[in-house]
Amino acid sequence: MTWSATARGAHQPDNTAFTQQRLPAWQPLLSASITLPLFFCAGLAFIGLGLGLYYSSNGIKELEYDYTGDPGTGNCSVCAAAGQGRAPPPRCSCAWYFSLPEFFQGPVYLYYELTNFYQNNRRYGVSRDDAQLSGLPSALRHPVNECYPYQYSAAGLPIAPCGAIANSLFNDSFSLWHQRLPGGPYVEVPLDRTGIAWWTDYHVKFRNPPLVNGSLALAFQGTAPPPSWHRPVYELSPDPNNTGFINQDFVVWMRTAALPTFRKLYARIRQGNYSAGLPRGTYRVNITYNYPVRVFGGHKLINFSSISWMGGKNPFLGIAYLVVGSLCILMGFVMLVVYIRYQDQNDDDEDDE
Amino acid sequence: MVKEDETFPCDLIFLSSSRADGTCHVTTASLDGESSHKTHYAVQDTKGFHTEEDIDSLHATIECERPQPDLYKFVGRINVYSDLNDPVVRPLGSENLLLRGATLKNTEKIFGVAIYTGMETKMALNYQSKSQKRSAVEKSMNVFLIVYLCILISKALINTVMKCVWQSEPFRDEPWYNQKTEAERQRNLLLRAFTDFLAFMVLFNYIIPVSMYVTVEMQKFLGSYFITWDEEMFDEETGEGPLVNTSDLNEELGQVEYVFTDKTGTLTENNMEFKECCVEGHVYVPHAVCNGQVLPAAAAIDMIDASPGAGGREREELFFRAVCLCHTIQVKDDDEVDGPRKSPDSGKRCAYISSSPDEVALVEGIQRLGFTYLRLKDNYMELRNRDNDIERFELLEILSFDSVRRRMSVIVKSATGEIYLFCKGADSSIFPRVVEGKVDQIRSRVERNAAEGLRTLCVAYKRLIQEEYEGIYKLLQAAKVALHDRERKLAEAYEQIEKDLILLGATAVEDRLQEKAADTIEALQKAGIKVWVLTGDKMETAAAACYACKLFRRNTQLLEVTTKRLEEQSLHDVLCELSKTVLHCSASLTQDSFSGLSADMQDYGLIIDGAALSLIMKPREDGSSSNYRELFLDICRNCSAVLCCRMAPLQKAQIVKLIKFSKEHPITLAIGDGANDVSMILEAHVGIGIIGKEGRQAARNSDYAIPKFKHLKKMLLVHGHLYYIRISELVQFFFYKNVCFIFPQFLYQFFCGFSQQSLYDTAYLTLYNISFTSLPILLYSLMEQHVTMDTLKRDPALYRDIAKNALLRRRVFVYWTSLGVFDALVFFFGAYFMFENTTVTSNGQVSGNWTFGTLVFTVMVFTVTLKLALDTHYWTWINHFVIWGSLLFYVVFSLLWGGIIWPFLSYQRMYYVFIQMLSSGPAWLAIVLLVAVSLLPDVLKKVLCRQLWPSATERVQRSSSRRAPADAAPSPDRPLLMDPEPRPRRE
Repeated sequence: MTWSATARGAHQPDNTAFTQQRLPAWQPLLSASITLPLFFCAGLAFIGLGLGLYYSSNGIKELEYDYTGDPGTGNCSVCAAAGQGRAPPPRCSCAWYFSLPEFFQGPVYLYYELTNFYQNNRRYGVSRDDAQLSGLPSALRHPVNECYPYQYSAAGLPIAPCGAIANSLFNDSFSLWHQRLPGGPYVEVPLDRTGIAWWTDYHVKFRNPPLVNGSLALAFQGTAPPPSWHRPVYELSPDPNNTGFINQDFVVWMRTAALPTFRKLYARIRQGNYSAGLPRGTYRVNITYNYPVRVFGGHKLINFSSISWMGGKNPFLGIAYLVVGSLCILMGFVMLVVYIRYQDQNDDDEDDE
Repeated sequence: MVKEDETFPCDLIFLSSSRADGTCHVTTASLDGESSHKTHYAVQDTKGFHTEEDIDSLHATIECERPQPDLYKFVGRINVYSDLNDPVVRPLGSENLLLRGATLKNTEKIFGVAIYTGMETKMALNYQSKSQKRSAVEKSMNVFLIVYLCILISKALINTVMKCVWQSEPFRDEPWYNQKTEAERQRNLLLRAFTDFLAFMVLFNYIIPVSMYVTVEMQKFLGSYFITWDEEMFDEETGEGPLVNTSDLNEELGQVEYVFTDKTGTLTENNMEFKECCVEGHVYVPHAVCNGQVLPAAAAIDMIDASPGAGGREREELFFRAVCLCHTIQVKDDDEVDGPRKSPDSGKRCAYISSSPDEVALVEGIQRLGFTYLRLKDNYMELRNRDNDIERFELLEILSFDSVRRRMSVIVKSATGEIYLFCKGADSSIFPRVVEGKVDQIRSRVERNAAEGLRTLCVAYKRLIQEEYEGIYKLLQAAKVALHDRERKLAEAYEQIEKDLILLGATAVEDRLQEKAADTIEALQKAGIKVWVLTGDKMETAAAACYACKLFRRNTQLLEVTTKRLEEQSLHDVLCELSKTVLHCSASLTQDSFSGLSADMQDYGLIIDGAALSLIMKPREDGSSSNYRELFLDICRNCSAVLCCRMAPLQKAQIVKLIKFSKEHPITLAIGDGANDVSMILEAHVGIGIIGKEGRQAARNSDYAIPKFKHLKKMLLVHGHLYYIRISELVQFFFYKNVCFIFPQFLYQFFCGFSQQSLYDTAYLTLYNISFTSLPILLYSLMEQHVTMDTLKRDPALYRDIAKNALLRRRVFVYWTSLGVFDALVFFFGAYFMFENTTVTSNGQVSGNWTFGTLVFTVMVFTVTLKLALDTHYWTWINHFVIWGSLLFYVVFSLLWGGIIWPFLSYQRMYYVFIQMLSSGPAWLAIVLLVAVSLLPDVLKKVLCRQLWPSATERVQRSSSRRAPADAAPSPDRPLLMDPEPRPRRE
């Protein structure tokens, strides 16, 4: 009987743990007794971390100066006024003086900051040719259409580097001078302009086109610089390892920022007497004022910041950890109260059943 | 011409066959699933044509009705013109019709003429009638989808408007560093707004979880295998497992509120057992019935009463002959038979096959009393009497059974030339036609038997003289050839013929309850499901069966709306009175249903019969019919059990429809085994067929088919419950994770000048739904068991926890969506404040927008996956593998994606972004923090709800996890010490 049944019922089910949905399983339960200690532990851990982060962030010093040149704010307003409504704006220099009453713990990094500048605009963000920037000769001559209207110059030459991002390269420059004693001479503080771009960007992603007869200039022959540039790309720097597409300022600029207010690394101060930080004294920052920002309501800032393991100054993370940690502990107490109040009642209910 | 083992290509009128008697055998397995051979008859006048030339010479016309889907009904007429005479008119019935889809068997070849072809064949007409069923989950899914569509459109609109406002200032619209092309400048403002709107739609379109539909389909399809694989639902006896005809309704099984069940063959086994017969008040009981198998020696008769006199003996034998002759049984030789009961007859082994199991039981029972029906040969019925003599009766007419008349008759001519009419039928249809016989004695016996749950039939006869018979013959012939109203005319003819009968006796056949039927019904009622029994049986039998299967208990107060009662009172009064009784205590009932257990209250059972029902349903002139319906529904809702007896198949469907469209729109389930249940199976939300004895028609038309009624319990309480839990989580989770996915994109538009800049890389956009977050939820929706299957089976009350689509209600949906929005806010602004105006690496270098997006995306993938992990209660190795595996896959993929310059990409924006992000300590800390914050509210809600307002399910989970250590079960005792997973931790 059974035999014939199995013979006929060809689709008799297999008796395996899987088909019968009886695989061995761990069945955790998110109950108060388990989560209570977890909440307290997590809360304590978060508060600990938060305190660490908070103090770590507080130890980081920052010094910031807005040199946009709104009327009545330092001597850059002259440049700003001079550049008003003129394109390209004339070359202009201004300076920012500041004094450090105490030692500025290093290593110190020099950033520039732009506000209201939409590097994350989609139209702007796609306006580049990564193939060209990786040194591909064919792409050098034939930039992609995304670069339009910065694809070909008015003369019909391909623009290298093409695109809106490259065209709008930040071209203010800074130099830092230190006056050790009042009335003494200003000594130039060496700014290390290398190592400001990602290692991979500088060494892998951005490549110059192959040299022609050992000359970068010849390699770029037949191309035009972007319309806003004053000099061709192969003259960005006299250093052959820092010119062309692998100019570090250029590489930094090409990594578009996430938010309309952004900071980009300009230089590191780590040479000579200044490797440990900036000593006391008066300082002067000489600014070559080229970059127009007031037309779109933006601001330019210069910023000295020390860097710790967690990067720049950022109180958010520490505070967030503290808040979440205390919330956890608070919730833990709420749950404890609930647990004690209702535990008995639930037990009674269960006994009733 | 069709040859043996060929399938008929269209509906044919059967003209002739290679067999001498003009019959052929067909099997209609592909039509209604019945694999037994059926005999069809060639048209009388044409059965002599055996060659193609003969057929060619045939000159005839056929008139037939319009195509209709009923497989078993056909009326037509053939006029055969021969050269000399007037045309011969012959009736055509379903026995002359060979249906498309059926297969010719045991016959070399047949000739036929096509009448219905293509879409007009009965097979095609039948397939059309199946309608698409949608589950409640699917409906709410569609509602959610519309909500999300609105969200999508409003998001796009908001952003478009914002963009227009934003762009009204030219220095923002086109700053010097981001010049437009000439064509862009010249574009019309409206056109620009429109293209912007479309671009935003494209950007946000991921909020519509397209992949959800794919996953849901996969889940349903794969999940239905668990039903077919279930060993507990496999029936050893028949070798049949459950069948899943549609996988669309798995979760609907967890939502059933009303079960409509057929009685015969569903609650009861439809395995008929001849119990006793009563001739003239003497009761005969064939004994020695052992385990349903009749012992061969059981030919003895146990006479309860004193031996009847000589006249009684004559009557007695007549009764036995009547039972032996009045049927439509076919006798099959053993080798042709594929499984039904064998007759224990010595010598020649044969089996009886009939469409009605009662007849088989009767004939077999009578065989044990000494009269054996042998066969039907050339219109002669042969039977062997007690003295082992063969008696031959010529079969003159069969007045076949139908459910309106509830009786059938045969007219036979005995060897001595006497003509008898034997009539067999339900007591109510026989007694009014009886003029003679010990009516009272037999009636009391019949009523007693009916009260015990036995199926009773009465047998009567009439002796006819030749002239009477000829009158009858003409009457019948006239009715049979009628083209219009043939059925009505036949019924009239039958009515005339079957009267002035002499009552012989009654039989009683037991229809045993299916095993565990009572247990199943009790469990269903505990689960809050209302069980209605819809049967064609008479009230007493049905009520008895209901008591036997605990649908009615001893303390159930029965309310009756029957024809008998309606004769005394008007329908209106009855209904009002009943509703008063019921509603009187409904106040206490509703109060009780709060506590979730109303089983012990005084409950009511309603009995209604077909006639009363049609009165209630019948629309009345003054338009107050709806009042009756409402009143009736009110009463029904407050009764724990309802029994509807004397139901025609269409009425069953009507009842289902009535409940289905009542104001709460409850989910209905119909279960039945016979062709008469098909309409109700098709009408109900979920139709379940029992793979039973009455053919496979019900199983074929059902959504699910199970071998036994008891399997319904596991089907609903375990599979239905689990599937509902699984799919509702699946649906909610999909919407949740897409909100998490897209809402940050929306927020980002406010920070990128509404330029449709995407926050995530294209690869992430594409793969998020396809590979990073799809497998865990799919496996969850296949494996999850929030409570073990045994617990679900043991505790039917848990079914109430998910009643009324509890997990997809608006509140739950809003909770999930707001959780998604909250999480999205956490992701986005967490990352925003992280990156705002600072650097996060120890080398002072700054990151760009892709790092920002990648951080958001990483937090999101981890949160979404861990949220699912929090919801998983059943961690098999597969779940572990898939959940941790997909997180690992995300990390590995990101490392690879950013680790190489992919030559086929025109941009290299993701190059080293992920790795650079991981090189920063604060990024790690931020990921931990943001994941924790995102999960915190959900954990909190879960724990507090469990502690403060535990549902029944949660209590069971708790107690079972507590019991587990006592049972020394492997793991779940103290997870707090050994379990790092519930917390969102990343190392």
